[in-house]
Amino acid sequence: MDLDRALDISARGMDVQSTRLRVIAENLANQQSMGSTPGANPYRRKTISFANTMDRQLGVDTVSVKQIGSDSAEFPLKFDPSNPAADAKGYVKTPNVNSFVEVMDMRDAQQSYNANLQVLSTTRGMLTRTIEMLK
Amino acid sequence: MDANEIGLFSLADKRLAYLDQRQILLAKDIANASTPNWREQDLKPFAAAIGSFSDAGEPVQTNPMHLAGTSGGVAQQDRMLRPAEKAPDGNAVSLQDDMVKMSGNDEAHELVTDLYKSYLGMFGTAFGRS
Repeated sequence: MDLDRALDISARGMDVQSTRLRVIAENLANQQSMGSTPGANPYRRKTISFANTMDRQLGVDTVSVKQIGSDSAEFPLKFDPSNPAADAKGYVKTPNVNSFVEVMDMRDAQQSYNANLQVLSTTRGMLTRTIEMLK
Repeated sequence: MDANEIGLFSLADKRLAYLDQRQILLAKDIANASTPNWREQDLKPFAAAIGSFSDAGEPVQTNPMHLAGTSGGVAQQDRMLRPAEKAPDGNAVSLQDDMVKMSGNDEAHELVTDLYKSYLGMFGTAFGRS
């Protein structure tokens, strides 16, 4: 039935948004993850991108996670000579995670998740009404 | 007698098929709210689509084994030439617009099913069942 596909599409939309939230959580949790040897690289921010692909199992094209990549932005340097990861000049590379960016991203993901949920419940209402026509 | 020969039933049938198809497109739009370069999709208005339901030169699926075709349904897709706004990644989905469209879709669906039910009830009355 056609409306079942709409349910599948919305469910998949919620699925990718929760993957996005997971990536954001990883970034925020690793905001202070520095290296352990002098001059070592700290945690590198992860990014996520989506694409619309054909799902052969469902027989419909749905959104999916295209790639979980890494942010190539430079690591900000912080002067902290006592840190084990400090280089010869006393600077430590800190993760290129910006908590403001992550929080805004989180809002966006939450909004999309809610929108998908709304579609799901509307579609479900339509299905229920169609079935009730039998009564 | 075929129920679809009765005008209102066949109209309700087409309208429901149209609304189903539109709901899928809207679900797809909202699911792709963060997909780069995604353009919004919508169907042509029902009044325009209803012309295409009749056999006006449309290819017809004559064998269930044949592929269903790319449009995948009864009505043709409307081409959105100019999205109102676009994100830097080329995404042109406006969640609020889609939400408004979807609630319109939902209302129309409710109207059609209610009409269908009360029309069917009139048949019941005519046949002497109350």
